[in-house]
Amino acid sequence: MIEFSSVEYRHPNGIIALRDIDLKIRTGEVLVIVGENGAGKTTLIKHTNGLLKPSKGKVSVFDLDTSKESVANLSRKVGIIFQNPNHQLFSESVENEVEFALKNFGFQEKLKVERLEWALNFFDLARYKTTSPILLSGGEKKRLCIASVLAWDPDVVVMDEPTVGQDFVQKERLTQVIRMLVSNGKAVVLVSHDIEFIWPLQPRVIVMSGGRIIADNKADKIFQDKEVLDKSRIVKPQLQKLSEKLHVESPGVFPNVIDTKQWIISRLDSD
Amino acid sequence: MQWVAQGFIFRRVNSPFHQLDPRVKLLVSVELFTLSLLVGSLPEVIIALSGIFTIASISNILRRMSRTLSYTLFFAIIIFVINILVGYPLMDAFVIAVRFLAIVGSTSIFFLTTPPDELELVMRWFRLPRDIVFAFVTAVRFVPVLMMDALQIMDAQKSRGLELQKGNIFSRFKRFIPILIPLIVDAVLRSGDLAEAMESRAYGAVKKPTSLHKLEMALLGKVVSISSIVLIVPISYLFLFWM
Repeated sequence: MIEFSSVEYRHPNGIIALRDIDLKIRTGEVLVIVGENGAGKTTLIKHTNGLLKPSKGKVSVFDLDTSKESVANLSRKVGIIFQNPNHQLFSESVENEVEFALKNFGFQEKLKVERLEWALNFFDLARYKTTSPILLSGGEKKRLCIASVLAWDPDVVVMDEPTVGQDFVQKERLTQVIRMLVSNGKAVVLVSHDIEFIWPLQPRVIVMSGGRIIADNKADKIFQDKEVLDKSRIVKPQLQKLSEKLHVESPGVFPNVIDTKQWIISRLDSD
Repeated sequence: MQWVAQGFIFRRVNSPFHQLDPRVKLLVSVELFTLSLLVGSLPEVIIALSGIFTIASISNILRRMSRTLSYTLFFAIIIFVINILVGYPLMDAFVIAVRFLAIVGSTSIFFLTTPPDELELVMRWFRLPRDIVFAFVTAVRFVPVLMMDALQIMDAQKSRGLELQKGNIFSRFKRFIPILIPLIVDAVLRSGDLAEAMESRAYGAVKKPTSLHKLEMALLGKVVSISSIVLIVPISYLFLFWM
């Protein structure tokens, strides 16, 4: 689906932001990119729709070489939701904001209306249809940004820090959205520092440091690797920490995180 | 937009000129600006530009300033063409166009070598009202921030299928609306946040706030100031009455 082959990216000022990146993003998977600030996470995701072109190596999206394709053409397949909603909202109304990309991508009128209605209803924004996006709260603006990208139904959805400014309920809803996208065969790429949000998804995690990928594994394996966690300044999820402490006291009852989680759920249910 | 701003944004560079007192840098910049205004013939243009490029070279900003000047060349050509069209002789039109480049160059010398903190000290030394100084210095500080914002907004809108390079000049201008509106709205929101943050940190609570840094003119600064005046005044006199 998306393949990075020996990619290096050098900024115009000469600083190398990505080195030796080899990565395959496959259909129906959740991939989370973590790492300290300046590790190259955002630079990496900007390569997925051709906003940045590799200085060396090759990025292909559905067999299209990103250095030969326009951003608009690649964006039809890869939708990126950026971190700051204020950097994209400009329309007079919420409805027009969602419609913007659908117009740019040349959607037929009937399909456009259908997608618009779906996106507004799904993200609980229908009641703000005629409201100016500027008047929405931070969390609502973020939801609008997600809705305006999912409206055109891209095959790969990339989200940069999607949980910033979201309350617990909205985070839960976002988790549902991600699960729904994956079950529909989409790939979801998340850049996030919110470990508690990531953990329940049990995604594939790549850890970046100094422009390189230093680890690529399932979440439960990554969060047990002390060296990787220290290098990338990631803190273990609370459940993992609890599980490890309980395991020291009663290894038979708490052999791993999953069993610890089941034990907690059963105790909560019995209460 | 980025290239124009690059010519006026301070970057820390290790050069003898950067280490001078900001008042001296302002004085040299004003002297070169005045000289640029006075030029009226080809030899005068050459003298003024030599002065500007010499200072830029000493300050290690020659490359950045030249890049800005090369883009400003577009406006200089327009000035040249207009002057030819309204009937000025070829050489006069040329001198007027190059004078414009010299004015931009002399102004950018000060801004490229003076950090916003020193700019604030200079303005306060001139006893300008504190609010005006703060507003001006904040505006200067926020130029690179706004530039970064503009680039991020362009990325976000291009990712939603906006093609900025498509169509004729009018449709291209229209395509910049999705860039300009978020940029302006974000700047307004940020200014509101900044005002609240400043008030929360007691901005304006006392009439004469103290300052951590004070301007102190070193011997080198005094020498440069006096020598520059000694050099520029006779040249200006020559430009006005002899050449």
